[in-house]
Amino acid sequence: MTQKKDLSEKVTALFSLKIGNVSAELEEPGRKFFCRDNRLMDDDEVADLSGEFMNLMIGLLAAQDPTSQVSPQFHALEMFFTGLSKKILVRGGQVEDMVRYAQQLQQTLIGVLEKDSGIAFTQSRSVLQYFSTLFNELIMAVFRAYLEEKEEALVAQEQELRETATPITEIWDGVLTLPIIGTLDSSRTMLVMEALLNRIAKDHASAVVMDLTGVKNIDSQVSHHLIQMVRAVQLMGSQAIITGIRPEIARALISLNINMSDITTRASLSDGLKEAFRSLGIHVSQKAD
Amino acid sequence: MSIPGLHLTQTGREDFLLEPLRGLDISDHEKLVESIVERLLGARASRLYYDLSTQPIIDPVYYNWLNKLARTVQAINVKMVCVQMQPTAAFALVQFAHEVPAFETALNISDWQNGRLLTPRPAKR
Repeated sequence: MTQKKDLSEKVTALFSLKIGNVSAELEEPGRKFFCRDNRLMDDDEVADLSGEFMNLMIGLLAAQDPTSQVSPQFHALEMFFTGLSKKILVRGGQVEDMVRYAQQLQQTLIGVLEKDSGIAFTQSRSVLQYFSTLFNELIMAVFRAYLEEKEEALVAQEQELRETATPITEIWDGVLTLPIIGTLDSSRTMLVMEALLNRIAKDHASAVVMDLTGVKNIDSQVSHHLIQMVRAVQLMGSQAIITGIRPEIARALISLNINMSDITTRASLSDGLKEAFRSLGIHVSQKAD
Repeated sequence: MSIPGLHLTQTGREDFLLEPLRGLDISDHEKLVESIVERLLGARASRLYYDLSTQPIIDPVYYNWLNKLARTVQAINVKMVCVQMQPTAAFALVQFAHEVPAFETALNISDWQNGRLLTPRPAKR
């Protein structure tokens, strides 16, 4: 045992303690925060949980250096809290519950150990300090898990938004429409372009009408991508028609010094569709009475 | 009189289809262009369809080869149309090619022929 010299008598006693099965007494905080009114867990789960925590805690106290925060035992305990918080959060629990649970668990653990061993741990400042350092780290793990969970949710939402914001529709045999809505940035333009080109190949689309009515504003970088998109569509052998260019966007496109003479543009989506139909030789006419 | 690395087939009275094979070596493009032009001249062709369906990516070297071929056959009054360009190839091509290429493009041969009959496309420079 290579213990630090400055450890107090009681802490040394704590580390060499033989702890019996006290997991039943540790169930109380779990029941209080997870079972009572929010029903995040049932009693059996809390019992399992407390048992596991007890074993991990015994493992940590029996480790070569229980104060180390890089030991495998400490890491296991940290992982246990990360996993538990994720479980609680997925079930709709609050992060506050997890933090309160950890704090309560700390109090209960010290009390239980005192009762079990007969040594007055609650009177020892160094023991209390040891536990509060330990549990502070564990609460940090809880917060990290919480942030990760939130981050994942954000990424998923963003992904979903990207997909729904660019619906490519085959509005007629061989005619695709692509209403672009919101702010166009470079990464999104790339995604749209990729999806569009693949769609052209799959559907053998002869014409693509890109409607920019819903585009808020675009910078020079993005207008460049937009022109690239038109060129790529033309290279695939499909006709590209841009519609709904608002004055600001027209200005942005022209300021790039791009030769627009070989790009078909129309004022509105319906004009664009008419142009696509005309070039495909499709006649749409009103039924005569 | 087959040309190494590609298939050149007459598909109509004046139409030729060029299908590049995996082993096409474009580093020797002058000789290749010469052989192709010779075949086209011999049959009095007016259109050359270049099938790009097996070309997943077009890099500047390959693009130069396509442009050179298109300009050369233009000199003997043959129009070159690249058909079935892959999405990935189009994506790669627009990243570096900023001018309008010397060849025309179409989804496939029949689509181009239909398009020709219906609307004369705007002349491309």
